[in-house]
Amino acid sequence: MNTPLLEVDGLKKHFPLRGGWLRRVTGQLRAVDGVSFRLQAGRTLGLVGESGCGKSTLGRAILRLQEPTAGRVLLEGRDITAMTPAALLAARRRMQIIFQDPYASLNPRRTVGQAIREPLDVHRIGTPVERDARVLELLDTVGLSARVRHRYPHEFSGGQRQRVGIARALALEPALIVADEPVSALDVSVQGQVLNLVARLQRERGIAFLFISHDLAVIQHVSDAVAVMYLGRIVEYGPAALLYREPQHPYTQALLSAVPMPDPARRRRRIVLPGEVPSPVASPAGCAFHPRCPRARALCRQERPELRSLPGGDPGSQVACHFPGPG
Amino acid sequence: MAGTALLSVRNLTVEFDGRAGRLRAVDAISFDVLAEETLALVGESGCGKTVTGLSLLRLVPQPPGHIVAGEVLLDGEDLLALPERALRRLRGRDIAMIFQEPMTALNPVFSIGAQLGTVLRRHQGLSRRAARARALELLEQVGIPEPARRIDEYPHQLSGGQRQRVMIAMALSCGPRLLVADEPTTALDVTTQAQVLAEIGRLQRELRMAMILVTHDLGIVAESCDRAAVMYCGRIVEMRTTAALFSTPHHPYTVGLLEAIPRIREERLADLPVIPGRVPDLAQLPAGCHFAARCPRATDLCREVVPAPLPTADGGLVACHHPYP
Amino acid sequence: MSRSAARDAGDSPGHDTLWRLAAHKLLRDRAGLLALAVVGIYLLAAIGVWLGWWAQEWALITGSKWGPVSAEHWFGTNIIGQDIFQRGIYSTATAFQVGLLVAVLAVAIGALLGAVAGFLAGGWVDEVVLWLLGVIDAVPFYLMVAAIAFALADYPYSMHVAMVSTFWTGTARLVRGEVIKLRGLEFVEAARAIGVPGVTIIFRHVLPNTFHILLVKFTLVFVDAIKSEVVLSFLGLGVKEGMSWGLMLSESTLEFLAGQFNNLIVASSLLFGLVFAFNMLADALQDALDPRRAA
Repeated sequence: MNTPLLEVDGLKKHFPLRGGWLRRVTGQLRAVDGVSFRLQAGRTLGLVGESGCGKSTLGRAILRLQEPTAGRVLLEGRDITAMTPAALLAARRRMQIIFQDPYASLNPRRTVGQAIREPLDVHRIGTPVERDARVLELLDTVGLSARVRHRYPHEFSGGQRQRVGIARALALEPALIVADEPVSALDVSVQGQVLNLVARLQRERGIAFLFISHDLAVIQHVSDAVAVMYLGRIVEYGPAALLYREPQHPYTQALLSAVPMPDPARRRRRIVLPGEVPSPVASPAGCAFHPRCPRARALCRQERPELRSLPGGDPGSQVACHFPGPG
Repeated sequence: MAGTALLSVRNLTVEFDGRAGRLRAVDAISFDVLAEETLALVGESGCGKTVTGLSLLRLVPQPPGHIVAGEVLLDGEDLLALPERALRRLRGRDIAMIFQEPMTALNPVFSIGAQLGTVLRRHQGLSRRAARARALELLEQVGIPEPARRIDEYPHQLSGGQRQRVMIAMALSCGPRLLVADEPTTALDVTTQAQVLAEIGRLQRELRMAMILVTHDLGIVAESCDRAAVMYCGRIVEMRTTAALFSTPHHPYTVGLLEAIPRIREERLADLPVIPGRVPDLAQLPAGCHFAARCPRATDLCREVVPAPLPTADGGLVACHHPYP
Repeated sequence: MSRSAARDAGDSPGHDTLWRLAAHKLLRDRAGLLALAVVGIYLLAAIGVWLGWWAQEWALITGSKWGPVSAEHWFGTNIIGQDIFQRGIYSTATAFQVGLLVAVLAVAIGALLGAVAGFLAGGWVDEVVLWLLGVIDAVPFYLMVAAIAFALADYPYSMHVAMVSTFWTGTARLVRGEVIKLRGLEFVEAARAIGVPGVTIIFRHVLPNTFHILLVKFTLVFVDAIKSEVVLSFLGLGVKEGMSWGLMLSESTLEFLAGQFNNLIVASSLLFGLVFAFNMLADALQDALDPRRAA
């Protein structure tokens, strides 16, 4: 089997909590608690979950914007977590990130042109004249006119800023882009424009995306495969079409049924989960989902289910549940 | 659904002071809220839906805001003409409001019970002890687990969903006839959102209360509203029953919006349908129909003449020169 | 279709930087403009002194002892017959020299150390800077100055050194807090994801976004320096060559018993006017530069 573009193996990111007089470590916030998956070149993995499930931390730990606590991240077969600063700098050309908040993701004191040019300057790609030409090309790619390069971020709408952020990420021609909630701050009519741009880039340039979102509808539109996260772990993984049609994990099922559908004629049976997501500081023993799960039994309270393929099921799908099955 | 209007808004116009002069955030809108119904004010950011909701109780900060024209009639009385004292008495008692971010609406230094108690003592003249008992009852009613313990906790100790429930309890404490809910679930996670929406719906039926739900989410409109007014750049472009709006939308903006929402589909589409362009700047609104520049059906007429709201066959309204059939 | 539409939308005419927005706001603030004008007049007076246009006869004995107010001596003369008004104007230049020098150095040092500490918050560099801040702030200001003045007894700038070494702490604390906030923003993360080196991130992405704080802090330190100069000169720890408002006030103590108040009136009025105008300017700048209110 050929090497996947990205292979994440047992990745953990814990934040020590300090308290008391001498700021001793009093606990661990397990934001990401043992995540493994593979992503092939040119494909998109949708990472979905509610706030606090660790999906954004996972994205940043993969890019080593936050140092992982444990585990490995292989990009094109080379372990990012073990890289020297020089090797990491080189690796940054292959992986980039797009952010959620179009108001915070651009430096308010730098022009849009400077923002897009910065990666080219840092990695000394081409001559200064070539870099300027490349900035114009990138602006055109994301649907902005060449004239806007002298403008400042506050002169743009949210959708346009998001395009600038995408152009900056494209400048280094990365093989992987981590997109962290790139459309959730945008209005509905603009969301579609940005999602279509992402889909077009993927088709035309073969960029692989790790697409992080809380919105199942958005995830479905862009993803080949989907991973559902709950309290720092993947609870279900599979090809997008199958996962949406036949979700196996009760959490995935609840999540899907909770999405409000813009279609009054088709009111569905809604699974309203009891309680709320527990704190990642004190996640429940056994299966972390058991206090809210309609199927929970004694086994679920004691033993944590591992992510596994179901016998007789789709070999590409995995679920972490003792009692999986359609709802 | 009862057929009488509880609240009538006529010709409401609200402006704001901007850097380049006055901006018209709400432009001469009129609508009725019937007893016990849920009316949605739906649209994208900047369409004027929130300002409309705030103006009903004259809660728009003035300045920079100015309610320059219009009437808000409750029992034939114009709320916009009431003296501030009379209006304050009416807030909470007849019309209550809940907001998007409950953390900013709750006072962080008082316990939940103290804040609920204040409202109850002031509006209903309850004693300290009776107010506490009623507060417990209310917390129980809105589905807060362990209300006896929670009542003495502070806002930061509660989760987002629980804080919003407390806000609902506070809003409902005096049995208002109308609840104005401004994006009440936008800050919440999707599973919590489902809980809170279900709770609001149940309470609304029990208390026989009308509701104006301000939202950008057409999914929520479809699932929990009787009628909806679609707003664009300060104007209502279409107002229909929810079923009619979603089955046969007339206004091109409504049609575009319904197509553009990312929704879970049977098949993944190659390209999402989009509305081209973007919402115009309120400082540079075009003449005629504000949507004309983005509209596939626009003609010269649309760019010159503001379309008047016309009745539709099913009793709704649409403001368009060339509506879809 | 969506591409061309988005393209048109970005091209609205007349684009302006955040600085231009701030200037626009400042120009509409009447109190701020007035303060700016007053500071400008003082600055002009100081420049005139430096260029030798006026107040050059401050040290000459041009009249008699305690001469009265006259056309020749607008505010009379002092105990040995020097012109008090000229001495007051000359002291304006001293005030600006002290204020500018101290404010530039103190704010620059504070910004640099604050930014480095904030950017590396939680690490040992941060701990060292915090410890230094704590130590300096714990020593009473005049004790510190007296110690430095004593240690550098012959050095003409011992007062400046003393002020800079204590005044930078306020800026450092403010900048450190702001940088900790900025450090978590996505554009800083974006720079890290691109591979921009830490030092470049601080100078290119972080510090420029604290300029509004630095400018306001600059005006406040300026005022502090002028006020301290007066006190220190009065105590004999300050200006050693030339003339200053503090020295004039010190001189005026000899005159009270004789019923002479001209030194006191001139020095304190000029000091009050400049301090007041600078404080108002600081307020106006704060309003105009706040990026949250600029949008």
